Amino acid sequence: MKSTSYSEKTLDHFRNPRNVGTLEGPDVAVGKVGNPVCGDLMYVYIRVRDDRIADIKFQTFGCGSAIATSSMTTELVKGMTLDEAMKVTRNDVADALEGLPPIKMHCSNLAADALHDAIKAWREGRRGEAPDLPEISKLRPPCGISVTDQPAIQGADELLGKGVYRSVEDPKVFVDKRVLVVDRGKPSVDVALELTKHTGRVVFMSSNKAPSSKDDPRTPLKRSDVKVIYEAEPIAVLGDGEVEKVRVHDLNENEEYELFVDALVILE
Amino acid sequence: MPAQVYLDYQSSKPVDPRVVHAMRPWFTERPGNPSSLHLDGDEATDALERSREKVAQFIGANKDEIIFTSGATESNNLAIIGYAIRNRKRGDHIVIAESEHISIHNIAKALEKQGFKVSKVGVNLYGQVSVEKLHKKITNATILVSIGWASSEIGTVQPMQEIGDALQGRGIALHTDAVAAEGLVPIDVSKVPIDLLTLSSNDIYGPKGLGALYIRRKVNIVPIMPGGGQERGLRSGTENMPAIVGMAAAADIMASEMPAEVLRLANHRDRLIEGVLSQIPKCHLNGHPTERLPNNAHFRFEAIEGESLLLSLKDKGIAVSTGSACSSKTLEPSHTLLSCGLLHEEAHGSLEFTFGRWSKPEDVDRVLEVLPGIVERLRSLSPLYEKEANS
Repeated sequence: MKSTSYSEKTLDHFRNPRNVGTLEGPDVAVGKVGNPVCGDLMYVYIRVRDDRIADIKFQTFGCGSAIATSSMTTELVKGMTLDEAMKVTRNDVADALEGLPPIKMHCSNLAADALHDAIKAWREGRRGEAPDLPEISKLRPPCGISVTDQPAIQGADELLGKGVYRSVEDPKVFVDKRVLVVDRGKPSVDVALELTKHTGRVVFMSSNKAPSSKDDPRTPLKRSDVKVIYEAEPIAVLGDGEVEKVRVHDLNENEEYELFVDALVILE
Repeated sequence: MPAQVYLDYQSSKPVDPRVVHAMRPWFTERPGNPSSLHLDGDEATDALERSREKVAQFIGANKDEIIFTSGATESNNLAIIGYAIRNRKRGDHIVIAESEHISIHNIAKALEKQGFKVSKVGVNLYGQVSVEKLHKKITNATILVSIGWASSEIGTVQPMQEIGDALQGRGIALHTDAVAAEGLVPIDVSKVPIDLLTLSSNDIYGPKGLGALYIRRKVNIVPIMPGGGQERGLRSGTENMPAIVGMAAAADIMASEMPAEVLRLANHRDRLIEGVLSQIPKCHLNGHPTERLPNNAHFRFEAIEGESLLLSLKDKGIAVSTGSACSSKTLEPSHTLLSCGLLHEEAHGSLEFTFGRWSKPEDVDRVLEVLPGIVERLRSLSPLYEKEANS
């Protein structure tokens, strides 16, 4: 079966998703599941009255089945008691959609998980909060705090001068290179912005959360050609005689992945 | 010819009706096997050798340097594995580009299981290999380098002349999978020092199930499939005469029409790239801005997922491809996109448009008419985009 062999019902929910949007207020709880790295991210918002789901909305970044299962899940549980909603399984969602391609079954899992996460948040008293407060980020230093105590990046010393830079003297050596600039406060932001004049691929990586204030030195990156990754840090530089890739720790998801780069800028 | 707005020529091409016409007698009226000694056999032998001549001419090769195979995958296997095994005494190291299509990575993996060592040379942000980086990967044990002439996915064309010149005289063979480039970029092995070159019939509007391998004189390989010894013993099996005649006809047509066709395709491509980048915010071109196939436009759209885009375009009768994991068999995003330094989430949001012989200006109009709305709708569902707009 092809990964896109969707039932008519699934296609209908993809084309006309029900209950898209957000909810706000003291009687609202939010559930989140997924990770853009894997290609899907869902938020489910529930408004609870008398222990029932009075209203429900969702936002989803993902493939056709991720969108359709989000939509179907919200349809299924609207009006249910929280106990009933907790019992809704991925199979219930897939059945209601008249089946999903086997490789996409995990998508139906995500929608049910996001719902259950929202119910859990409600029951734990996390109500009326903005979404996206992953536990780990609370452990990170807030924006703007001293960044001198950065953990060492494995392999960086060995490849110093072979793709690892401690300073940027001549930006022209970065022409057409895939460059990763590690957050070291304002000087590193300036370097990242400058390098976009010389190459089309500048990634800025920060272990902090995305800035919320206009005064944060990282805010100007938003309107630039720099690709910014927050809540992630390089843990190792890999390469055979020169930098080839960087192993990255996604702090939000506590996962690791590799990024192909030619140069890594870690200002002193 | 295709009924819908078909912008997925890199995945599969229709066979040119003129090619079908040339093939037709070989299904019914001409039963001959080139190995047979009767008149029908002689007729088939003549047609086989004439076809070989035409395919050779198409890439500036000699007739005796071409053998027919069942397609590009077989040609790649025969070239890389056949060469590596034949030349193992001289060394056990091969180099491929990190940006190669997964099929080349898998052939390299098969060789690793047989004890060969494989190095992967990195590419720049456009997916291009540099001679400088290639040099650093070469060791005394290197016997073969395999780098695709162009990427069928992001459309980036490799500097093959430079790469070939750099390797010449060093006892290292150069193989290139040219299927994405053939018919779109001039290929002339009398000028570019390439030792082994993979061709596919369908990529020049010939029938599927046929390919060819160019093997430069004095370059030795061993067969990977024992049998009756056809094709100089390198590729056994009774010759697929209708397809061989078809590929030769396709090469003939392509040779005469290519200059005008390339200009026409580049015009479609440039209109699409300009239109998409100017009408849709937070959207980027993948691959090289200028050194790219004339028929290829490859984009990534922030905060949306490629399969959703593909399905939405499908609903509007437009056929495209995506490098998104959700559309693949393995749920892994395209390795080619990752090799250019893209993050998984960026690879997921990619969309590929490829034009071909029957593409019309209206196809571009149609995409530009519907795509901005589709992107806007999917972004309205996406938590990633809203967050960006608000903060």
